[in-house]
This record gives sequence, C-alpha cells and structure tokens, in this order.
Amino acid sequence: MSGTDFDVVVVGAGPAGSAAAIEVARAGRSVCLLERGPSPGSKNMYGGVVYGRILDTLVPAWWEQAPVERWVTRRSTMLISGDQALTVDFRNPGWGEAPHNGATAYRPEFDSWLAGVAVDAGAELVCSTTATGLIREAGQVVGVRTDRPNGDLRASVVVACDGVNSFLAKEAGMYPHDDPSNFTVGVKETIALPRHVIDERFAVRGDEGVDIEILGCTGDVPGGGFVYTNRSTVAVGLVLSLPALAAGGTRPEEILRLLKAHPAIAPLIEGGEVVEYSAHVIPEAGYDMMPELVGDGILVAGDAAAMCLAAGIWLEGVNFAIGSGALAGRTAALAARRGDASAAGLAGYRSSLESSFVLSDHRRLRDAPHLVMSDLAQRVLPAVACGVVEDVFTVTNPTPKPGMRRIVRQRLRRHGVRLRDLFREGLRALRTFG
Amino acid sequence: MLIAACVKLVEIRPLVDPLTGSVDPGREVGCSAADRAAVEVVRRLAESWSARTLLISVGPPRAEPLLVELAAVGIDAAVRIDAPRGVDSSTVGRLLAATLADVGADVVVCGDYSSDRGSGSVPAFIAHHLGAAQALGLVEVHTEGPGSLRVVRRLDGGRREVAVVDAPAVMSVEGSVAELRRAPLRSVLADAVPVEVVATDVPLSVRTLPTRAFSPPTRVASAPTGTPLDRVVELTGALVERTPPRTVALDPPEAAGMILEQLRSWGYLDEPDPA
Ligand SMILES: Cc1cc2nc3c(=O)[nH]c(=O)nc-3n(C[C@H](O)[C@H](O)[C@H](O)COP(=O)(O)OP(=O)(O)OC[C@H]3O[C@@H](n4cnc5c(N)ncnc54)[C@H](O)[C@@H]3O)c2cc1C
Repeated sequence: MSGTDFDVVVVGAGPAGSAAAIEVARAGRSVCLLERGPSPGSKNMYGGVVYGRILDTLVPAWWEQAPVERWVTRRSTMLISGDQALTVDFRNPGWGEAPHNGATAYRPEFDSWLAGVAVDAGAELVCSTTATGLIREAGQVVGVRTDRPNGDLRASVVVACDGVNSFLAKEAGMYPHDDPSNFTVGVKETIALPRHVIDERFAVRGDEGVDIEILGCTGDVPGGGFVYTNRSTVAVGLVLSLPALAAGGTRPEEILRLLKAHPAIAPLIEGGEVVEYSAHVIPEAGYDMMPELVGDGILVAGDAAAMCLAAGIWLEGVNFAIGSGALAGRTAALAARRGDASAAGLAGYRSSLESSFVLSDHRRLRDAPHLVMSDLAQRVLPAVACGVVEDVFTVTNPTPKPGMRRIVRQRLRRHGVRLRDLFREGLRALRTFG
Repeated sequence: MLIAACVKLVEIRPLVDPLTGSVDPGREVGCSAADRAAVEVVRRLAESWSARTLLISVGPPRAEPLLVELAAVGIDAAVRIDAPRGVDSSTVGRLLAATLADVGADVVVCGDYSSDRGSGSVPAFIAHHLGAAQALGLVEVHTEGPGSLRVVRRLDGGRREVAVVDAPAVMSVEGSVAELRRAPLRSVLADAVPVEVVATDVPLSVRTLPTRAFSPPTRVASAPTGTPLDRVVELTGALVERTPPRTVALDPPEAAGMILEQLRSWGYLDEPDPA
C-alpha cells in the first residue's frame, strides 16, 4: 500500500496485541507489532490463570506448546473474617487433561510464546520501542510515533492494545472521561518453594495446580485476594480499590502482609522466599468504562478497551484480550484489503464483539464489579458466613443445638443486616450472575 | 580504517542461591553495559574518523539476535565466531584475534569485563595475539585524530592515568564511558546487517565437577600424653601465669596516656625520646 510502512500497526505485544497480529498476518497483510518492553510480557503481570479455550481456533492444540506452569484442577473460593476462613473447594482432575480449562503461566513466557506465534505467522515484532503518539491526517489515524530516531510508522490501521490506561485510545479521544473509581490495583508476591512442598501443601500431584480466590481479606479497602501455584513458586496477591487506597493512605504491601500472615494462608507459604513483587492497574469497571472501540483508522482491544472481566469469582482478562484482539486483527486486515480504514469501514469490529463472548459476557455481568465491591460482599458476607459456620459446628452441650434459621437470623442481626436488604442484594446478584 | 567492537552474550539476570552459592543463569540474555558502551565508542570513533565498523562475538547461534539488535545502531558488519558457551578466555581471545587480523581491524574496543564472572582478560589476549597496543579499564576515550586516541584509565586509590594510544590498539571500556544510542526504527525494521558466521573447531567444553568433598591429606600426629585434665589445662592455658585484664575509668587524655604506656610495656612502641 503506497505511503504506508505496514497495513496494520499493533501497539503492545500483550495477549491482545499478539492475537491481533496473528490474525492480520494470517490474512496475508503486513503487520508490525510494537512492544515497549525488551521482550513481550516483560512489563506484564496478572493473577495467574489463563483460560485457553479462546486459543483453540487461533493455535490448535495450544496446550502442547504453550509455556504452562500447572493446569488448574482445584479452584477454591475463600471467605475470610478476622482469623477465620470458610473455603468452598472444587477439584476436577478432568481439567488436568487436554483440552484443559485454565493454566497458570508466567507472563514473560506466555506473552513471548504468543508473540512468537505472531512472528511465525509473518508479523514483524519490534521490542524496546514505545509508541509515543498517533499520526493523524485530516482527522484519520494514519500511524504512530515512536521513541526511536526516525521513529514514525505509517499504517492503514492502528490497533491499540497498549493495556490499561491506554494513552493511544485517550489521545484518539475515545475515552470520554477518566474516573479513578473505575480502576483497581493488583499487587502480587511470587514466593519460591520446592516443588514437592507445593504439591504437599496444596494437595496436588504432577502438573496439577490450584487457584484460590479470596474475599474479606482487604480490611477497609474494597477488593479481593488470590493465591495460585506455579511449578516451584506460589503467588499471593490482592486486587484493591484505587480511590479507597488513596483516601485511607493504606499501603498495599501492608494489606498483603496481613493476608500472608492469616492462619489460612501462612502455612501455605511458610519458609518460602519472595522472589518477585509486582503491581499493575486493572480496568475494574468493565462494560461501564469501555471507550469508543472504533475510530477513523484505529481500533482498541484488550485492557486498553477495559475488556478485563473483574466479576468477583471471575477475574479473566487474558482470554478477553485474546478474543477482542483477534477480532480487531481480522477487522483491520479486512479494512486494509478493502482500502477503507474509516470508522465506517472498521465498524464490523464492534458488531463482531457484540456477537462474541467478549461483549455479551461484559454486558450481562456489567453490575458484577459494583456488587463485588459493595460493603455487603466485602465485609458482611464473609463475616456472616464464617459466623454461621462457626455456630453450626460449635457443640454447645448441654445446651441443645440452635436451629439453623435462628443462627442465621442472629448472625445477620449482629452485623446489622436487615433481611429486606439481603433479599434485595440477593435478587440483584441473581439478576447479574443468573 | 576498520574499528571493531567485541561483545559477549550473557544471561543478564542470574540468580545466586545465598546458601549454596550455586548460580542459576536465568533466562534473559543480553550483554553487559560495558559491551554496550564499547559499541557506542566504536560508533563515535567511526563518525569522527569516517571509518568502517564491525561487531564481533564468539558464541553460539543464540548470540545472533543480540548482534542484529546492536548492529542496528549503525554498524556496518557483524560476525559471529561459532563456539559453544563456556570457552575459556584465552581461546576466545585467540579466536577473536584471528578473525580481527583477517579483516584488518585497526582499533578494537571491548567492554572491560563481561557480567558473567568475566575476568577482563580477553582484550589483553587479543592485544597479545595482534601485537597491538593495549589500554584496559578505560573511563574516558577521546580522539586525537584518525588512529590516535587519548584515554583515561582508572587506577587504584582514585588515581587516573592518561595515555595516548595509536592504532593498532585494543581498548576495554567501563560501562559508564558511553550510553549506547537508540537504533533508528528503520534500521531495526530492516534487520539491515546480516550476521556472517565463522566456523571453528573448538570442541564442546566439558565442565568437571568434584564428586567428593575435599579432604586434606592425612598427617601423623603423636598420641596425647598426660591425663585428660592435664590436656584440658594445657589447651585452655587456665593455670598459666598471666596479667589479668584490668578495667579503668579515665578521662580521654589520661586514657590515651595509659594506652601508650601499655603498648610501650609490651614492646610495640619505642620509649619516648627524652629530647
Ligand atoms: C493483579 C491482576 C490479576 C489478574 N488476574 C488475571 C487472571 O487470573 N486471569 C486473566 O485472564 N487475567 C487476569 N488479569 C488481567 C490480565 O492481566 C489483563 O486483562 C491482560 O493482560 C490484558 O491483556 P492486554 O494485551 O490487553 O494488555 P497487557 O497485557 O497489559 O499488554 C499491553 C502491552 O502493551 C505494551 N505497551 C503499553 N503501552 C505501550 C506503548 N505506548 N508502546 C508500545 N507498547 C506498549 C505493554 O508493555 C504490554 O506488553 C489480572 C490482572 C492483574 C493486574
């Protein structure tokens, strides 16, 4: 194409960017994948579980080549109140077999692998290069500027996959407003332990792994926690409301220290050595904070478009990034072939997202982030649940056992919860998750 | 005129077990800051002398992406001398010198030492084989005109040595000497410099590990004499006559005087000169 260096420039070699580049290259169009880190994934962190089903079409039998640490065969949801903990533990050895469900993986390895698939498909990967702005002509995006000498790169379509807080989408005017309450911050410690110790403590064997999601472990700051196993490290982390952290002046490391010292967590990581501490922002509000997804000459995908699904028991972003990135790549390739990269020419992206899991899940679960961050879910639910279980299992002989209904009513009353409110929130949850 | 930079592929984030001292080389590879500085020095000299430039490395095929990345800053040619990792410094020096002599390099710039426990001896070996002048461990490099350099070398005790070095010369520079410039985007995209591979017959080096703990040679010791109590007394020196320690509380001048007097009485100081 005359006047352009590539048909498509994809900014950011995270899962969204690599998926986009794979689709463009496979459609026979030229594509440059720009990454600011020295290698793909070197700047990325997450909560640990990649759900690979979305890869089935992109990389058939991906599980035979993806750099996986462990296959998640145990998923637990833990409610913490004070020093108590109530865990619902699900074990499914079937997830340990192909085609698998979720896997733990290190992002530098996983992202480099996926970017490698894009390179094998014909994409040009350029690392250590930051896109510093958009090049526009007559309102249309026609490329990006980079921080290298002679660093302008012109293309028919720019796909912004530059992650949360996307400067490119903002520069293109696609984010109408910036609201800090839409964001959470994730912090994580990776703790080294011998592999056999992890197997014993988490009761798994071979390549089996565990993912634990935790509620009620973040004190006054709304959020949640997670623990997951790699081969010879365990990751312990938190997701915390950004405005609440700022308002309370609380340090995330302090909340993490308390979680690590909790009687339900400490024995799992005892004697381990912290080998890494990392932090990253999450676009928590999902559907309600999504920017314009299509502009003249530009598409936005993945976290850059707030497509991370942070809905309590589900924290999924990589699969949504791959799903949206692949659709953006397909649309961009088509537009480049047709020679129409205007917003109208790229409009197919939005409709393909609508009919895929990406926007349908987000739309259906749009209330979930607010529900999960509510006082009821954060403080009351863990306290009442732990309290009820405590009362049920505390043997009070010679006093006769209290009835279940009485226990629940007493516990609710103790935490100032009216049945009416509980009912209302329950209905709301049912509508959201139902 | 041809100026060459020598670089080495190393793991840039090795993990050292504090208990056992064992080293896990880690996965990330690159080169030391000193090697990067060497490439920048070569570029600057080439600009001011209108010279051609060469990037050269002894290593496995894995080193080629590093050469391509570094060459994108504007190096004219890149050569990889094929050899496995872990070849000893004298062999590396010999291999580099042979190729550098073949291509007729006038000035060779290396990093002062590689970050994987390098000893900094490779540049010296190269200079020896080439019969070139050597200036190692430099903190500054200035040109005095084509083929002539004024360099500053770090010495012990914060001292510096200024030297004038003329080609043919081998230099090694510290990482602080220069920061490698960013490669222009066009050069990065073009993969402009193909890496030429020079074959060698260096065998795969074999690492030998001790299989048993070191035990010192046995020596004949005479059997102990006397009762166990005698031996304990002898070992501890419990009954030997000695000056018991004293604790004194004095003002500083008096304390100093007493320390001097004591040192004199033990023979560590001469008696004060009565004059
Ligand atoms: C604490 C935490 C826990 C999480 N847990 C999970 C989980 O368990 N499962 C899950 O599926 N998801 C999880 N996520 C979400 C997931 O990490 C993200 O949704 C996903 O990484 C988004 O992919 P992406 O490609 O859109 O963006 P990113 O992965 O953020 O990639 C963006 C890339 O763009 C590059 N970049 C940015 N700006 C520029 C620029 N200007 N020029 C060039 N390159 C640039 C970055 O270096 C980066 O490589 C978690 C996130 C966090 C923070």
